[in-house]
Amino acid sequence: MNDCLALVVDDHPTNRILATALLAKLGWTASEAETGEQALALAATRPFRFVLLDISMPGASGEDIYPELRACLGTGARIVAYTAHAFPEERQRFLSAGFDDILVKPISRQQLQEVLPA
Amino acid sequence: MKRPPFLDGIRGKLILIFVLIKVVPLLLLAWFAWHAAQSLGDDVSDKAGGMADATLETIQSIGKTVTDDSIRALDLRSREAIEALTTDTARKIADFLYDRDADILQASHVEPSEGAYRRFLSERKRALFQHGTWRLAEDEKSWEPEKEHAEEALVTRPILPDNAKDFHARPPEYLGEKSMRPLFVEMTYVDLDGNEKIKVTTGDLTQKSLKNVVDRNNTFIRAETYFAELKKLKPGEIYVSDVIGAYVPTDVIGPYLPSALEKAGKPFHPEQSAYAGTENPVGRHFRGIVRWATPVVANGRITGYVTLALDHDHIRQFSDRLMPTEDRYTPIADAIKGNYAFLWDYKSRSISHPRDYMIVGYDPATGHPATPWMDTELYAEWQASGKPSHEFLATVPPFRDQKLARKPAKELIKAGTLGLDCRYLNFSPQCDGWNAVTEHGGSGSFVIFFSGLWKLTTAAAIPYHTGQYGATPQGFGFVTIGANVDDFHKAATETATKINRLIALKDLEFKAQRQDLLDGIEHSLTTTAVGLWTSTLLMIAVVIGIAIWMANLLTGRITSMIGGIRKFREGRLDHRLEVTSRDEMGELTRSFNAMADSVEESFKRLDEAREKAEQASHAKSAFLATVSHELRTPLNGILGFSELLKSDLTDPSHQEYARIIQQSGEHLLNLVSEILDLTKIEAGEMTYNRIDVDLRSFLDETSAVYRSAAEAKGLPLRLILDDALPTTLHTDPTRLRQILNNLLSNAIKFTIAGEIELKAFPVDDMVAFAVRDTGPGIAPEFHETVFEKFKQLEHFLTREHGGTGLGLSLVRQLAENMGGRVTLDSTPGTGATFTVFLPVEQAHE
Repeated sequence: MNDCLALVVDDHPTNRILATALLAKLGWTASEAETGEQALALAATRPFRFVLLDISMPGASGEDIYPELRACLGTGARIVAYTAHAFPEERQRFLSAGFDDILVKPISRQQLQEVLPA
Repeated sequence: MKRPPFLDGIRGKLILIFVLIKVVPLLLLAWFAWHAAQSLGDDVSDKAGGMADATLETIQSIGKTVTDDSIRALDLRSREAIEALTTDTARKIADFLYDRDADILQASHVEPSEGAYRRFLSERKRALFQHGTWRLAEDEKSWEPEKEHAEEALVTRPILPDNAKDFHARPPEYLGEKSMRPLFVEMTYVDLDGNEKIKVTTGDLTQKSLKNVVDRNNTFIRAETYFAELKKLKPGEIYVSDVIGAYVPTDVIGPYLPSALEKAGKPFHPEQSAYAGTENPVGRHFRGIVRWATPVVANGRITGYVTLALDHDHIRQFSDRLMPTEDRYTPIADAIKGNYAFLWDYKSRSISHPRDYMIVGYDPATGHPATPWMDTELYAEWQASGKPSHEFLATVPPFRDQKLARKPAKELIKAGTLGLDCRYLNFSPQCDGWNAVTEHGGSGSFVIFFSGLWKLTTAAAIPYHTGQYGATPQGFGFVTIGANVDDFHKAATETATKINRLIALKDLEFKAQRQDLLDGIEHSLTTTAVGLWTSTLLMIAVVIGIAIWMANLLTGRITSMIGGIRKFREGRLDHRLEVTSRDEMGELTRSFNAMADSVEESFKRLDEAREKAEQASHAKSAFLATVSHELRTPLNGILGFSELLKSDLTDPSHQEYARIIQQSGEHLLNLVSEILDLTKIEAGEMTYNRIDVDLRSFLDETSAVYRSAAEAKGLPLRLILDDALPTTLHTDPTRLRQILNNLLSNAIKFTIAGEIELKAFPVDDMVAFAVRDTGPGIAPEFHETVFEKFKQLEHFLTREHGGTGLGLSLVRQLAENMGGRVTLDSTPGTGATFTVFLPVEQAHE
């Protein structure tokens, strides 16, 4: 079942629960991290293939930890920004940073399904 | 005209201006000075030359005047002297002849006897002067005296100072070798029948035997016819004959020299030819007589006649020894030189001439006059007449048309009969002239060009009026003296020659002086020119130097100012120019610095303002982003969980609740999105990310999104693409999609039946996107208000339609922000068409 391991990183519990629930509906097992540091620590332990990474978090932001997370998970993992930053310039910034895709809050099951790894 | 590149700069222009305003006047000044100096030089040269010429001319003119006057004066004086000599000579001759009258009267009182007559004759002698022996010169080109007579004036006492001026002494006048000769060659006593009773002769000119003189053959050379005249004489009356002598012909005219004779084809016999002074000093002399006669009265009755034959040589002495030059007298006449005296008788016949062959004589063979010299015309006439010359000439008027143009008859020259009978000497017009002045007893002169010489010729009647000579005032005849005019004024011409030589010398001197003067002027001019032009060129060089220096000074400061300004312009706003002077440049520099200060200050303020604006903008963006973020975050939970609930709940009414929550959340989300978009647009924060959009695929995708929703309502969605549609459009696809989404969703939303159409087509330089529906349409009065925010709310059941009321407003804002516009075309009841026009080429911002 390692193929469907996902990591949801968000400081808001609501967002984490929703993402985990939706992922579960789609057949993914998600671990949750409340901070970037937790996320990096978790990533070192399991081979997540999909990460929903919030950008605005207290402490290290999603953008801050992204390089380390990518280095940790490798290019095989799909790291998607999970954010309420919806402005095009912000989207562009995230894509430039290396994120595979962006899932703009509020999300729907459909939208989540579209950004999952094939 | 293309300007040379160096004139582009101020420096070049300044130098040019300097050169123009300084060098040109300098050159002009120099030129004027040079020109003035030169014209002065020329003037002085001209004047000096003119003065010299004028002086020379004056001297020449004075010289000429003096010479001419002198010549004239000398000529006049000479003329007077010669005229006086002529009249004096005539007087002397007359006196001499009158003395012979006295002789004949005395003779009439002498007892007619040979002894008494001989005594009478021997008591009457007179000196004759004759030259010595002459001979042919060795070169045979002239005759020369065997003994030259040269005598100098002898002055043996000291000349007193008072007499020293123009002291002049002459030697005794030399007329030749003196010999005493009887005056008369013959003295006769003739009875009343013409028989010579007593005859005493001196010399052998006349016959010594007693003859009857009625017959002219018994007279001297058969030429005397005096006895008839004697018969008419009363006691005390005197008969005087013509000059009678045998004509002496010549072989040649002119010097009797072997060469001349050879030329004439005659033998050289000078002794047989006529004597001719220096031309033939050894020739045969003309010998003639003049016979005086008067009755001898005894007891109151004429018993016979006494005659005295005067030796003609004594008369000739008066003219032959005369020399109308400073020599005064000569022992031998020289016809060639044109200075000699002639005697002419009362018929204008020559009775004394330096050339004896020119004295008219008689042919001793016939006793008739020898043929005189004639001109060609008269000679021809004579020849034609066939008469003896004396008969022919008796028919010819005397002095007929005499002129120099006539030519002497050569035949007579050849014949050697050249006696001068003035009456018929028609090629010698002076004959006429002499008669003109003497025929009334007077005298006079004229100048005539004769025999190649200008001759003054004088004539004076010989006032002897005895016997036949008393018939006219001319008396015995006349004396003429010919003189070479040039000799008169020899002194003047010599003076003139001297003057001319002096003038020539003076001319040379003047020319030399003038040349010196001209050279001096030339030198002075050259010096002036060199000095002038050197100083001018130096000044020009100095001016150009100053011009360059000043231009450099000026432009150097300008250049440094330009450098400073360039630095300032390149952004070094703190750069300031150094103020080095208090002049205009300094003022300019200070002004620039002041301007730089204010510019820098302005820039500073501008920067601050921009910074503030940027900060504000940034804050606004951040605020909007934060608002968006903070609004979306709770919606995530609402929408996400309502979706989960909807699928997890089983109770349909619960499901409906969940659906309502989701729908409300979505509405809220739309509202948030559109509010934020509009806010961004109005805040100017909206950014457009333009790329080349492939219109066909883009429109395919966009329509496909809405096709399912439209078809769900039973509405076909048709996509019509014009053939002329450009392949790509440079635009922001997100915003274009947002526009089309709004329009398509509205169309689907408000259309119940019918169809939806999306049509794209080019209009001018725009691309139009028209979304047409078959909905209820919009009344014209709302065509504008539909684009206003939330206006929809008033007229549509917004809730029902799920609209935010901001869609069309956003569409219009976006279209206009992207350089386009949106239009509405609608008829209520039939549908509406919203058309968005976007420019094909959008100005790049």
